Amino acid sequence: MSLLAGGVVLASVDDAQSFALQAAEPYVREGFQVREDYWGGDLAAGEKKAVRQQLFKGNEYWFWMGTEVNRARVSVHIYDKDGKLVEQSDSWQKGHFAAAHVVPTSTDSYFIIVAIEESPEERTHWALVYGFR
Amino acid sequence: MISVIKNSKWAGFTLALVALSVQAASAPQQINVKQYKTVEDVVVPLPGEVFSALNKLGPVNWKEYVRTEKSANFSERPRTALLLGNVIADGFIAVQAQDAPAVKEIGQRVLTLAKGIGVGASITPHAKAITEWADKRKWENVRHELDRTQNSVQQAMNELQDQKLSQLVSLGGWLRGTQILTAVVDRHFTPEGAELLHQPDLLRYFGDRLTAMPEYSVPVVQNIKQALVEVRPLIDTGSKPITPDAVKRINVITTRLDGEVVTR
Repeated sequence: MSLLAGGVVLASVDDAQSFALQAAEPYVREGFQVREDYWGGDLAAGEKKAVRQQLFKGNEYWFWMGTEVNRARVSVHIYDKDGKLVEQSDSWQKGHFAAAHVVPTSTDSYFIIVAIEESPEERTHWALVYGFR
Repeated sequence: MISVIKNSKWAGFTLALVALSVQAASAPQQINVKQYKTVEDVVVPLPGEVFSALNKLGPVNWKEYVRTEKSANFSERPRTALLLGNVIADGFIAVQAQDAPAVKEIGQRVLTLAKGIGVGASITPHAKAITEWADKRKWENVRHELDRTQNSVQQAMNELQDQKLSQLVSLGGWLRGTQILTAVVDRHFTPEGAELLHQPDLLRYFGDRLTAMPEYSVPVVQNIKQALVEVRPLIDTGSKPITPDAVKRINVITTRLDGEVVTR
């Protein structure tokens, strides 16, 4: 039973990944290399989590978040390790998609805060992918 | 009519400004990062990512770093996992050098290594794609296939409940990438190049993962664990820049480890 439940969870995060990749697609045409590896999980409405990621000065990055729950609203924001918001102003949110853009001013770890702002589901699966150029 | 149009334009501009303001307001300018639960999964940057940043600092003669000599084959799975990551990193170097024959050889080598530890089935289509894209000189596609290759290897290992081997693949790639990064920066030192080594959290992550693998007690794994302890103070310099001596020292360490990873 737990294996089956685990399989269902994995499938839903995979579904969320496909939506995150959908958000990323236009940027691939602009030269961003989108990583195959990604983060995912499930969160309650109003819940947030932090993804910590090494970024390199000189590169430009986008992080794209998605969920398969159409009526959910998600957000993603990027902070440096001191907790200062560092994303560019063209970061955006659109329902069950969101994206954040950063041009790191130093090579270091950054925190990408993912949130399910609203959702009709008790727990909402999400996925976060990233790309660089 | 004109005043209506003007008013409409101003109304549209105001609405857009309000929308932007709402978006900006929803993201606090300052947070306490410690209050957030952290996602446990770590996505290790591929060598291609740091090479992308390095390329922007000035021309690099990537050809001199291309390597296609066939390394030893190992029966111990942790050694093969480290070597897989190492050879995939060689693939990224060959792509930087736009060396199609090297890329194709490396693709086949990766397939052989993957078969050796029972994850070859997942790699075969990627090895084929690497060859095809290299023949067409489509380097972005080759890079993408190398990423897919590593991801497929790691997924296959995870499915076999071999998550620790998967982590060794990442580590093998990171070591080779760091060896090349330090070689390039050592040759033409710049503070910006040295800064690319500022990865203390990644180092800590690898150290923690190795500590959780006592069953993989082969000498190379132990030597890497020790070396990470040596490297940490060289790169975890706080706000101080990473020095030329530190870059040189890290290159010596990672070159020594590379030798242990690829040879019997």
